[in-house]
Amino acid sequence: MCEYSGRLIAWLDRELGDQEATNVEWHVGQCAECQCAVNAYQQVSGAFLLCYEATMTVKKARNRPLWALGGVAAAAAILAAFLLTPPRTEKLAVHLPSPPHAPPMAFELPPAPVARVRSLRRPDPVPVRSQWIAIEPTVEVALPADALFPPGAVPAGFSFIADFRP
Amino acid sequence: MSGDSVPWALPLSRFGNSDREATTLFRELRKPLLRYLVCLGLSSDEAQDVAQDAFLNLHRHLSAGGSQENIRSWLFRVAHNQARNRQTSYDRRFSTPLNVGHASESILDETTPERVLLEKEKYQRLGNAMRMLSDVERDCLLLRASGLRYREIGEVLGIATSTVADVVERAVKKLAEKCNV
Repeated sequence: MCEYSGRLIAWLDRELGDQEATNVEWHVGQCAECQCAVNAYQQVSGAFLLCYEATMTVKKARNRPLWALGGVAAAAAILAAFLLTPPRTEKLAVHLPSPPHAPPMAFELPPAPVARVRSLRRPDPVPVRSQWIAIEPTVEVALPADALFPPGAVPAGFSFIADFRP
Repeated sequence: MSGDSVPWALPLSRFGNSDREATTLFRELRKPLLRYLVCLGLSSDEAQDVAQDAFLNLHRHLSAGGSQENIRSWLFRVAHNQARNRQTSYDRRFSTPLNVGHASESILDETTPERVLLEKEKYQRLGNAMRMLSDVERDCLLLRASGLRYREIGEVLGIATSTVADVVERAVKKLAEKCNV
C-alpha cells in the first residue's frame, strides 16, 4: 500500500494545501499504483455525479406516470358524461284538496263556481252584485216648497218629502 | 440571470441588503438544494417545502443581522435537519436511489451496444454499491456532489473536516471496489 493512497481523493477534490498537493501530484506522476487508483476514483466520482445530476429529471418524470394520465382522462370522461346528461324528472300530478264550503251568510249570494285556473294568470275578480231591498218609510211629511224657499227660488209644483225612517 | 426565473422576486431596488443577499442566494442555491433533498429521499413536493422553509429561515437570519460567513453550509444544514425531521425512518432514504439507469442511458446513446451493456452493468453495480453505504457516507458524497467543500460538509453534518475527508475516501473506495473500476 502506497503511503500517498490515503490522500488521493482529497487531492482530486482540491482539499489539500498547496505544498501537499504538489507532493501528491509529483508522486502520482511516478507511481503506477496511484495512477490506477486515481483513474478509478475519477470514474466512480464521475458516475456518481452523473447519477446525482440525473436524479431531479427522473423524479420529475416519475410524478406523471402514464397510468396516472389514463386514470385522469377516464375520470374526466365520466365526469363530463355525468354533467352533460340531462337529469330525469318525472312530472308528478298534484292533487290539491278542494276548499271547504263556507256557510251561506245573509245578503250574500251563494259562491259562484270557480273555474280551475291552470295558468299563472290572475283570475278575473268575480263581480259582486249587491241586493237592494226597498223598505217602506213609516212616516212621510210633505212640505210645500213655497214654505221653505223664497218665492221664485223653486219652480212651482215642487214639494219636499221628509223621511222619518227609524 | 433574469428576474423572470424567480417568480416571487421583486425589483431589487425595493429591498435592503439582506433581501438582495437572500434573492441572490436563492437563485444560486435553489437547484442544488432541491437536488440534494430529493437524493436524501424526499419527494419532489417535500423537497420544495423544505427548500422554501430553509430560504425563509435564511431571509430571517440575514434580516436579523446574522453572520453571512459560510452561508451555503448554513442553508444546507437547515435544509438537511428539516429533511431528517420529516423522515420518520431512514428506511426511506435511497428507497428510490439515484437512478443509474437513466444516467447511463443519457450518455450512452452514441456508443456501441456492447459498450452500452457494459456501462449499464457498471451503473447497476454503482447503484447497488450506493445502497450499501452508511448514512454519513451517503450524505458526504451527496454534499460533495452538490459542490460543497469538506469544511462545509463538516458544518452541515456536524463533524470535523478531517472526519469528512476520511469518510469521503472510505466511501469512494467502497464504490470503486464494488464497481470493479
